Amino acid sequence: MNIQDRGEVKIETEADIALARRAVREVAAKMGFGITETARIVTAVSELGRNVHKYAGSGVMRWCTLRNGENAGLELRFEDYGPGIDDVNEALREGYSTGGGLGMGLPGAKRLMDQLDIQSAPGHGTTVTVRKWRRL
Amino acid sequence: MSAAEAISVIRVRNVLLVTMPGDPDDSTIAALQERALDAMSAEHVRGLVLDLSKVEILDSYFARTVAETAQMVGLMGGETIIAGMRPSVAITATELGVTLGRTRTVMTVDHALDLAGRELAKEKSRR
Repeated sequence: MNIQDRGEVKIETEADIALARRAVREVAAKMGFGITETARIVTAVSELGRNVHKYAGSGVMRWCTLRNGENAGLELRFEDYGPGIDDVNEALREGYSTGGGLGMGLPGAKRLMDQLDIQSAPGHGTTVTVRKWRRL
Repeated sequence: MSAAEAISVIRVRNVLLVTMPGDPDDSTIAALQERALDAMSAEHVRGLVLDLSKVEILDSYFARTVAETAQMVGLMGGETIIAGMRPSVAITATELGVTLGRTRTVMTVDHALDLAGRELAKEKSRR
């Protein structure tokens, strides 16, 4: 799997969530994702970016484009150094929230993307990685 | 442009037409509630048409704000009609799992204004 292109957007304020959305929208359009696929990806960015801001205060979104045979992929990695997640499986459950939200951020993002992976430990921050693939 | 200025609010006949920009940031979304409710009481209109035709994504925060705004407008005695949601937005919001409560939705702003006009006529004939 080759990495073609990459970039990052720091998430420190609420306005940065919109900047992250814009950056990803541009990359997705350049990669040739359709309107609905782009809307799925950008919505996932919004949910995951907001999680970073809400639970950790700040963090970073790193994006890169991937190539795997006949498939092009977009990978988005949301890293924060916040309190971490006690129970990752619980956090992926529908309607589970510790932040007063609707608890649809993580399970929703999982449905919108092709792959979602969470690395987290209490006190060591959280990294959520999502990917979307498209056949060339 | 300030968050509140990014939202257009104009009076059309007996309703307020509130148009959201394509990719509003959180402060713009937060401004929606106050702008809409202030204008409701200042203009003495009977409802709100929320035009989402420019909107590119509806995430959980945006959807919750829209649903709450509709509920608040209801408490003030008005009605909210959501108009013009794009297919890609409807698909994505449904997959994400968001709902807009029991808010009425129509395809276009034209439909929304027709609907609001018809209901007003109905009310008049009842009197």
